[in-house]
Amino acid sequence: MYGKFVALAGAASLGLGLMLGGTPSQAEENFGPPELIAAAKAEGKMVLYTANYAEVEQDVIKEFNKRFPEIKVEMVRAPGGQLITRVRTEAAAGKLIADIVDHSDRALMLPLADLFQDYAPPNAADYDPASLVSPKFWPRATVVWSIAYNTELVKDAPKTWKDLTNPQYDKLIGQVFAQSGGTTWTRIMFERQVLGEDYWSKQAATHPILYPSGAPMSDALVRGEIGLGPLLYNAVYPKQKEGAPVKMVFPPEGVPANPYATGVPKTAAHPNAAKLYLNWCLSKEGQTFMIREQGNLTSLKVAPVYPEGFDPKVVKVWYPNFDQYVKLHGDWVADWDKIYGYRQ
Amino acid sequence: MSGQKSGRIEVTRGAGGGSGGQVVAYLWVAALLAILGFLVIYPVLTLLLGALTDTNPVVEGLSLSHLSITNFLVVLKNPNVAEALFNTLIACAGGTLIAVAIGLLFSWIVVRTNTPFKGFIAAASILPLFAPPLVAGVAWSILGSPKTGLLNTLFKWAGLDWHVDFYSLWGLVFVFGIYYAPYVYMFTSSALRNMDPSLEEAAEISGASAFSTLFTVTFPLIMPAIVSGMLLSFIVMLGIYGVPAVLGAPANINVLTTYIFKLTNWSPPLYNTAAAVAIILMVVTGLLVFLQQKVVSGRSYTTVAGKAFRPRSLDLGGWRWFTFALAMVYLLVVVVLPMLALIVAAFRKFMFIRDAASLFDMRQYSLMHFNSIFDNPLTMRSIYNAVEVGIITAIVGGMLAFAIGYTIHRTRLPGRRTIDVISTVPIAIPGLVIGVAYLWAWIGIPAGLYGTIWILALAFIARFMPDTVKALSTSFLQIHRELEEAAWVCGKGMLGTIGTIVLPLARPGVIASMTLLFVLSIRELGSSLFLYTSNTMVMSVLLLDYYEGGNVGKTAAFSLVQTLLLGVLIGGANWLAKSAAQGNIAQRIR
Repeated sequence: MYGKFVALAGAASLGLGLMLGGTPSQAEENFGPPELIAAAKAEGKMVLYTANYAEVEQDVIKEFNKRFPEIKVEMVRAPGGQLITRVRTEAAAGKLIADIVDHSDRALMLPLADLFQDYAPPNAADYDPASLVSPKFWPRATVVWSIAYNTELVKDAPKTWKDLTNPQYDKLIGQVFAQSGGTTWTRIMFERQVLGEDYWSKQAATHPILYPSGAPMSDALVRGEIGLGPLLYNAVYPKQKEGAPVKMVFPPEGVPANPYATGVPKTAAHPNAAKLYLNWCLSKEGQTFMIREQGNLTSLKVAPVYPEGFDPKVVKVWYPNFDQYVKLHGDWVADWDKIYGYRQ
Repeated sequence: MSGQKSGRIEVTRGAGGGSGGQVVAYLWVAALLAILGFLVIYPVLTLLLGALTDTNPVVEGLSLSHLSITNFLVVLKNPNVAEALFNTLIACAGGTLIAVAIGLLFSWIVVRTNTPFKGFIAAASILPLFAPPLVAGVAWSILGSPKTGLLNTLFKWAGLDWHVDFYSLWGLVFVFGIYYAPYVYMFTSSALRNMDPSLEEAAEISGASAFSTLFTVTFPLIMPAIVSGMLLSFIVMLGIYGVPAVLGAPANINVLTTYIFKLTNWSPPLYNTAAAVAIILMVVTGLLVFLQQKVVSGRSYTTVAGKAFRPRSLDLGGWRWFTFALAMVYLLVVVVLPMLALIVAAFRKFMFIRDAASLFDMRQYSLMHFNSIFDNPLTMRSIYNAVEVGIITAIVGGMLAFAIGYTIHRTRLPGRRTIDVISTVPIAIPGLVIGVAYLWAWIGIPAGLYGTIWILALAFIARFMPDTVKALSTSFLQIHRELEEAAWVCGKGMLGTIGTIVLPLARPGVIASMTLLFVLSIRELGSSLFLYTSNTMVMSVLLLDYYEGGNVGKTAAFSLVQTLLLGVLIGGANWLAKSAAQGNIAQRIR
């Protein structure tokens, strides 16, 4: 039954979706009971707080509105740390405006779980339990790391993570610093646990240029300020699609992935619209859009589709152990800072 | 000197005539203090509390039980904070030197020489004010990056063995200097314009050369304006995030603002440490303000008296083409080059430029980024919001600054020194941190300030109060009290005197201050970051989103839109003022 459903959904999104100019048509998908949809339409709007990049999220909203044009999604976008402060402060003052909080760092969200209501999407059972840290938070987006390089500058393309320690790329590599947030923390954890205790020092020996986040680094890559480096696939993919001289590889040692934590606050003024938006984002249709158009992965047990260049038979996706993710953070980030000479 | 001093006391207004007047005067002071308490003292206290604890005052409540100076100790022990402070002082001091040299030179060229196209030079001299720091930073990184900078590409194309690297402390000094020269220019040019030239004539008749007159008579006479402009430009540089963020980051050069931003941006964020670093910044600024008070106090700088005069114009002969060329070079460096860089980035599909030939390859250009920003509904909303906040800030803030400036400089009301000090405090707090302080302080107010456009406007009014009050004070200091006295003798009351004498004479200053306030609030980023909500997104925040979203094309396109909008609005205001026969705002800023 399940397999049939996936096949149908897959066929619909791959075939029909392409024919209809990218609009997936999945009449079978369940976005919630009719009462919820009616109530959501009556609310007419909702406010989304996200740590995702505004432009990327704007495209998701646009796609959502193709199916539910009646619901206006207003967005507040802030970097992870600022977003958490905003949520905590607003909530304490009884003025939390958000109907959805969408965050890249599950460890920062977990202590706030009490602010959120119980929520589960209709396809809750399809999600990998490893990606869930609380029944209130859902992996609306799952982002994945890759190595990206500028095709004009780097003729000898990197293939593995180990290549990023190669002296031939001296002063050509960019890096996002460890302290920047949950996704980067996932990657450096992967590097130390999977690639070896000495990977950081070998990599740091190539004098990488440090960036505060992946977005400015991906721009620097396109401009040629740097030649290559680890980047979230979804930070580069849209640029590649537009024709920028960049390429990405999924190295064979594994690719670290980071599921978001997304929930609906108890105080949400538009809870039905919020749930409908999340239901849609977490549905196969929503996930397929984010994978195909934005270069995300998914935390669905069975992925409806993979991003371009991602061969599930070859690439091993690596999820961090959440306990270690929380416990190791402070010490390991301090070590990283020391090794990379990142001044605090 | 003593005669002057006693004359000063004599003509300064007392606290009103009878006891009724006294009550009104006290009520007036109390009202001003209450406003300042709400706008300044209360947020600063929450900030101090934040620096002394490790809690969020809103979340954990205002508690004094866990006070400690741990944050300060941590910060003071950290050698990187010392390095950031050192970098900050070098960048700002170097930048200020350049700004003073440029600002003073151009105010002299425009006001005191017969250099051709002076109106044009005057307008060009204030243009950098329109550029948000982030935009300036982005433009100069496109031009001056050591690897991909357009300047380096062009040098190579021209076969020149030159190389520039703006990802350095010197790059920072240079960009600070050229962008903040207008602050010095605004102060010094109006002072020069309003200065009675008879003193200079006297010096020249006594045999002093034009050059030594300039340095022994002219510049000393406009010293309050020079010091005010210098101080303001230094302090504004201290609080700038955009320029060092873009130019300093690639070379790992931290200044205090980028350091504070890092602290708030880390995961988890360290606001309390950020507050402690901010307090260090406040101490540095406080010292400067104190210094300025020392320099300006105890001297009379009244140069506008009741006597009519015409500012004299020095005939430079053939040298006037040299001064004109200087102006053109400045215009090229500060306006033309960065604008070209932004235009290239905004219209070019991708900013990978292999060589000069690729730069001129028209197939690489399109409207893609403009289509994309206007496809985003937030763009139009942010423009509308920014203009609304700007207008509210300019009007309310301008009125408040006038009330404060008049009370400080034109009355002897008790408490006016306190008002002076309190209204200067916000200058010392970096925008990012003041944003958190306002959020902490004002979110709990029952009237529902949070989530409205007013919380942004109030934050801007408070944040830019020192700039506005200082800008206005220069006008007040220049109006001789004999003019007010005359009105007073003729039987005018205090309000009547303000309406017929002070306001008309200070009007250039008032309009200039309001325009400045409008421009500053449209550009302001730091304090907006924490106060905007989905409904009240403003342009500067959206611009940072585009920048952080990693798209230099969209950032450049939106920067051009913002610059154009400011130009149109200021031009519009200018035209309105002109049609009302009140003169030209650009000229008044001069």
